Amino acid sequence: MWQRVNTGMGASPAPDLDAELMLRVREGDEDSFRVLLDKHRNPLIHFLYRMVQDQPVSEELAQEVFLRIYRSRASYEPTARFTTWMFRIATHVALNWLRDEKNERAQERLDDDRDYDLPSRELPDRKPTVEQRMLYRARLQEIRDAIALLPAKQRAAVLMHKYQEMEYSQIAAVLECSESAVKSLLFRAYETLRGRLAHMVTRGTK
Amino acid sequence: MTYQGMTCPLLSEESIDILLDYAAGRLDQARSTLLERHTASCESCVAFLGGQTSLWQTLDEWEPATVSMDFNRRLWRRIDGLRTQPWYRRFSASVRLGGWKPAIPLAAAVLVVAAGFIMDHQNTAPVSPAAAKSVGVSVIEVDQVEKTLDDIQLLKQLDTSGTDTRAARTL
Repeated sequence: MWQRVNTGMGASPAPDLDAELMLRVREGDEDSFRVLLDKHRNPLIHFLYRMVQDQPVSEELAQEVFLRIYRSRASYEPTARFTTWMFRIATHVALNWLRDEKNERAQERLDDDRDYDLPSRELPDRKPTVEQRMLYRARLQEIRDAIALLPAKQRAAVLMHKYQEMEYSQIAAVLECSESAVKSLLFRAYETLRGRLAHMVTRGTK
Repeated sequence: MTYQGMTCPLLSEESIDILLDYAAGRLDQARSTLLERHTASCESCVAFLGGQTSLWQTLDEWEPATVSMDFNRRLWRRIDGLRTQPWYRRFSASVRLGGWKPAIPLAAAVLVVAAGFIMDHQNTAPVSPAAAKSVGVSVIEVDQVEKTLDDIQLLKQLDTSGTDTRAARTL
């Protein structure tokens, strides 16, 4: 009944640990799925959150990604790194959500979940003042807006490069394009961001 | 444009990764040394690296939100729901995963064959009097045309035989 799921990312690299775990899931070992879930849950939700900029939605989309992985277990073939496959599904899910006109309207109400944006690290040793909090929020909003205004594919490339620390080849596999196309996407995206955040980005030599 | 044995990475998007990785602190030692030699005499790269490094630090400020504590529990509840689903629901879910995509060209091919079959049979089917009447052509008219064609054929044959007779008389 299940269609054959080929991770479809070109040449077959040596199976990684995650792929081996997924093969065990295919054999019916649900504990291996728990391991994969615990390992990749946070990076996946963080990526989706930065893509859609809505915390409840990002968790819902992450659930969809893990459900798809679970549903595909019977036909899983490790033809690429597990994370490449997972982020490919996640990117598809996020891009579909962003394309949805209805959801784009919902995206405009970013203020609703503003409290999600206050990370625990923001509160170091002492409580920040009201002014510091406002300043932080304003800067954060500018960063979010600058990234949100990028074309969806550029945004995905930047998030995978900057926050997931992925290799160019892996980003290319996720986005189904060439490595040089990824470099071009990143070059243009960072150029745009440097322009949009110029007042925050202090120019100086390294 | 080559500086210190290295083509300026800014001249090609293909080699922009060297600058991006250096600004991110991900470039290996050997290539870092090579780039540093280059930047000693390339102001454009120095300016790019300054801006990119600052941007990198600015983007670091955007930390991810905390994941809900009940994420796993919600997911396992949905997975349990999957297990208890009837077979047709599971089938439709597997189709939603993308299994319907290969069916598109197949369906298109079937449609083309079906259309061709119908058109072919429409052309060769005998015209019934009722159908002919509906389009304003009477069966009698068709018969008359056939008869006229036969007459033309007969006249041609007569003409040919007449020519042969005249030729024989001349001889």
